[in-house]
Amino acid sequence: MSPERLSLPGEQYLAQRHVLTYIEDAVSQLLVNKEEVCQYGIARFFTEYFTSVHQGTHVLFREINFIQATPHNRASFLRNFWKCFRTIGKNGDLLTVKEYHCLLQMLCPDFPLDLTQKAARIVLMDDAMDCLMSFSDFLFAFQIQFYYSEFLESAAAIYQDLLTGKNPNTVVVPTSSSGQHRQRSTLSECSLQDGVDAPLFHQCLESLCERYKQSCPPPALIGEVLSSVQRLTFYGFLMVLSKHQGINKAIGALPERGKLLEDTTMDKTLENLVAQMSENSVSSPATGPLTVQLRALPCISSPRKPLQHRPRTDLESDGSTEETDSSEN
Amino acid sequence: MMAASPAVKIVEKRRLVPVAVAVGGPGPAGEADFLRQAGVTGMLREALLTVLEARPEEPVAFLADYFEKLALSRAEETGGDEPGSPARQQRLDRAIWYLRLAHYSQRTAFHNNVSIAYECLSGGVKKKRPGLNGRIYSEVLRRICREGAASEEIISLLLKKIQCRDYEAVPYDLFRYSTLTCFVLLEFISKADSLYHVLDDSGQADKRVCQAVLDTLGEAIMASDLCVPTSYLEAGSKLRPDCLALAMDKALLTRRPSSFMSRREFLSEAAVLFLTKVKPIN
Repeated sequence: MSPERLSLPGEQYLAQRHVLTYIEDAVSQLLVNKEEVCQYGIARFFTEYFTSVHQGTHVLFREINFIQATPHNRASFLRNFWKCFRTIGKNGDLLTVKEYHCLLQMLCPDFPLDLTQKAARIVLMDDAMDCLMSFSDFLFAFQIQFYYSEFLESAAAIYQDLLTGKNPNTVVVPTSSSGQHRQRSTLSECSLQDGVDAPLFHQCLESLCERYKQSCPPPALIGEVLSSVQRLTFYGFLMVLSKHQGINKAIGALPERGKLLEDTTMDKTLENLVAQMSENSVSSPATGPLTVQLRALPCISSPRKPLQHRPRTDLESDGSTEETDSSEN
Repeated sequence: MMAASPAVKIVEKRRLVPVAVAVGGPGPAGEADFLRQAGVTGMLREALLTVLEARPEEPVAFLADYFEKLALSRAEETGGDEPGSPARQQRLDRAIWYLRLAHYSQRTAFHNNVSIAYECLSGGVKKKRPGLNGRIYSEVLRRICREGAASEEIISLLLKKIQCRDYEAVPYDLFRYSTLTCFVLLEFISKADSLYHVLDDSGQADKRVCQAVLDTLGEAIMASDLCVPTSYLEAGSKLRPDCLALAMDKALLTRRPSSFMSRREFLSEAAVLFLTKVKPIN
């Protein structure tokens, strides 16, 4: 019981839980499917609509505006994406940005390319955008980018301001600010000194979190990430966020990284299928599906490791902050 | 899986008919007319009011459940009302669902739901006079208590006080009084349970201390009297921390290698204290 919700004014309670968003959407869906709904029963239509919202299947094949409308929709979309395409991770396939974008468009036809690209920038640390990425690397980077996209937009702007020595929030800038100017001009050196002062960045993000309330990563976890380093680049920051278990848990859409490719029920049915088919194959010649199943079998029993998709050359290219400008488009 | 498949079907259809809401429709005014005529507007208004009354933690799941019940009751209404047991069972389920919608401390909401539950229980016997008979009434009370995990002996003690005969008609006031009593009793038992949990810190609760606590509790309950408002202050003062601590301390001082009190025993003693205050109905 959270008694807070009982004392809220009615409108605030409804807004906080996005009840009206779903009711409006339910009505517009009803109008689209008018004829069938009338035969079928309106109460039953609503039952199914709200059940599918509860289960998270309601965002499948919907337009991007609706998918982004509520945190629950975003989490549901992430979960669907993971569930639909985890076999890619299982097979260890590496894909490019464009290919991941095609997968996203299968679930949401008007999915914007720039969101996919932004997620890929996190994985590739804003460098060499045509590189191949493993499923789990992409998925966790995509999760951060997709779920917190507005927050990250603002954070990127703040980062840019800090980098150029501007003072974004009338925060008292420490004496090191003059040093940032110098670093900005010598970016090509790519030293570890790149990026901005972490405590200062943290300070700015704290006030940002207050503005975003529920649609930002838990402030305590941001603090944890930022207090462990002195300086950091924006993509370095996003990379750590995307790998942070606590943030993954706070979003609640995906399992932890180690369990990403586990699916005991599906594995069991697969194994049963394989067993059944190999029994049948004694009498009938091997068919298409059978060979596919057999190919999948070694993957099921072998321990899965996320593939190291590329050598850690990222560290050198960390500082290519020039590129971060493009993330604001 | 069963529940998911129709939703998927709808989703499939959505894919075929892209975003545009007003597709082929006679414009917004025609749509509003359609929604009103089909009863969508009224249905949604009632659903929203119910959500606002109950303030569930997860309104979406709540709405799914709400519409499912609604669809069931409509099917029941149109499908004839034979006195066979499935229809009766459904009415019972629905009534209990209404009763549980809102906590009794939310007075208006709770009373509203009680009256809906009463209506839906008594509406069933259309051929005879409408009304609720004692048999269904006892069944409802029994189920509320059971779902709240009260022990059978407590339930039968309670029912002895507020039960009607199977053939008697149960008026609304009585129904409200009894259901409220059940819910308060359940909450009382769960509070007593957490109290026992505190006493039970070492794994075994000392019988004397338990008895002392129960005695104090009993005194407080006895002292309260509906007609004398100040009696509630008195009851509260009997339960104030130092007073209770004193009693427990005294009990501990006279401690001999004493026996222990089980959770079950403690709960039923506490429930008996509560039941002494329940007014029996005639």
